[in-house]
Amino acid sequence: MELTLKKRKRNTIIPGFSLTLGYTMLYLSIIVLLPLSMIFFNTFSMSWSEFFETISHPRAVASYRLTLSTALAAGLMNVVFGTIIAWVLVRYQFPGKRIVDGLVDLPFALPTAVAGIALATLYAPNGWIGQFFDFKIAYTPLGIIIALTFIGLPFVVRTVQPVLQNLGIEIEEASASLGANRLQTFFKVIFPELIPAVITGFSLAFARALGEYGSVVFIAGNMPMETEITPLIIMTKLEQYDYAGATAIATVMLVASFIFLLIINIIQWYTNRKFNQF
Amino acid sequence: MSIQVQNVSKMFGSFQALNNVSIDIESGELIALLGPSGSGKTTLLRILAGLEGLDEGAILFDGHNITNVSPKERKIGFVFQHYALFRHMTVFDNVAYGLKVRPRKERPSKEEIAKKVNDLLALVKLENLADRYPSQLSGGQRQRVALARALAVEPKVLLLDEPFGALDAKVRKELRRWLRKLHNEFHVTSIFVTHDQEEALDVANRIIVMNNGKIEQVGTPEEVYEQPNSPFVYDFLGNVNLFKGRLHNGKLTHGQFEINVPTHLDSHDDAIGYVRPHDIHIEKENSNNDTVAATIVHIHLLGPIVQIELKREDIDEYLEAEVTKEHYRELGIKKGDVVYIRPKQLKVFVPEDFSI
Repeated sequence: MELTLKKRKRNTIIPGFSLTLGYTMLYLSIIVLLPLSMIFFNTFSMSWSEFFETISHPRAVASYRLTLSTALAAGLMNVVFGTIIAWVLVRYQFPGKRIVDGLVDLPFALPTAVAGIALATLYAPNGWIGQFFDFKIAYTPLGIIIALTFIGLPFVVRTVQPVLQNLGIEIEEASASLGANRLQTFFKVIFPELIPAVITGFSLAFARALGEYGSVVFIAGNMPMETEITPLIIMTKLEQYDYAGATAIATVMLVASFIFLLIINIIQWYTNRKFNQF
Repeated sequence: MSIQVQNVSKMFGSFQALNNVSIDIESGELIALLGPSGSGKTTLLRILAGLEGLDEGAILFDGHNITNVSPKERKIGFVFQHYALFRHMTVFDNVAYGLKVRPRKERPSKEEIAKKVNDLLALVKLENLADRYPSQLSGGQRQRVALARALAVEPKVLLLDEPFGALDAKVRKELRRWLRKLHNEFHVTSIFVTHDQEEALDVANRIIVMNNGKIEQVGTPEEVYEQPNSPFVYDFLGNVNLFKGRLHNGKLTHGQFEINVPTHLDSHDDAIGYVRPHDIHIEKENSNNDTVAATIVHIHLLGPIVQIELKREDIDEYLEAEVTKEHYRELGIKKGDVVYIRPKQLKVFVPEDFSI
């Protein structure tokens, strides 16, 4: 018995497996799982019927739909423009490149409320940008998408950038020598190589957008049923000391986020497979 | 397709990669561009492919000036040293790529593409691996996929950039033979870059030896090996012993050696004689006056050929000799023995021969 145990231990060359795994588990438990389980714990003070009533309230359902759709739209916007920005930053030399590179991270550093106020001022019907449009941008879902795009910008750029950097020029030359034009080379050769990074960037930006509160409340207008996001509903309930109600909604968010991230991870695993085989 | 390279020059910053290079290549030739790293051989190949621009000169394919034609319109096949396969595509899709990206009017039907790809995969003996991804293949298999991919577009010229450089010795030899066979079947004009002289001598019909952005010599493998026209070529193609000495009245003096050089009757103080290791004659007894005594320092047994390192007795210089195994047995020499040596054949270069 002891012999087999020892044997097993020796099978791996990399040391410290049990130590690092133990640490990972402890850390994740204290930092992630414990706080999250408190949400479920708090929710237990409600009865099932109360719980379902709270989470299926029309206002709540409308907010789920809004939060999800705007987060998805913002994530996709960031995929397109984040990839373009990463491309420009990697492929071309131009004056002020470092500054542009630094600007990308700014949405991370800025307090989200500041971003929200700034965006609301710009896109308000009489704001610098808003005045040029016949339709309203701020105080509509469009404004929410803009705010979420803003705060999610760095994710796709920062995940795609290193992959693009390591992508050899050779495969592009090979593609050109085989008679492909630039567009074909990009869509058939370069973009597929970027897909795993793009999905990672998308899932990060999407997850961030799902939980975003600070920047959105200023530009959203917060009209129930129309521009009220789920995090705001939670805040409102908290301000009314309805802790159980707030955590019930939070539970829905939590489960939904988890399922989405799980699906994205499965897609990620699937696309990564062909690159990692040996 | 015949290729003319006319007075091509190329600078990278202040580095002269190619300096007024001109070559004529006939249709169906198998050419090796041979040279040390930094000699401009890869640059020349990339210029032929259109992957690199040139500063001066022109490239002609079949008499047409294609200097400013993009790589996709040159009808070339290019094989990279590190394969440059598309990682996210299967072997089949990699080979089919060049056919699939054609404009709709010229694109073969799906069935035609499949047939062509399968034929090519059979040619490179990878028909069983069509569904694999490049990451699941060995280096030699990957390079064969790269070759099949390049051949799929039916190129008029096949350009290979150190195609076997990243492979181990055995696979390299196998692929070399295979490339020759392929060329004999298809007769597509092929140019490959290599820094391995053995590879160039083994595979090519004609070798272009390059150094410092210039062409040193062009000729068949025999010509460049037997009659190198410069010390550089002599040095680069195979091992060589140097006899630096004084040339006077058709005799090269070096230590106790006095060697007849009928080709050079003038006098020089710093002439250099080049002798291949297999052109050094070894005998046990001093039969003639023109030999020099030397001690055997080391003996390498390399299959049929025996390499012998010698230290000359007259001056402190080392020499390398090669004899066949049979001859080695006949001689019955061992490490530490004193033998008598004499160059059987020697090529002398005086500074004027190679200074420009």
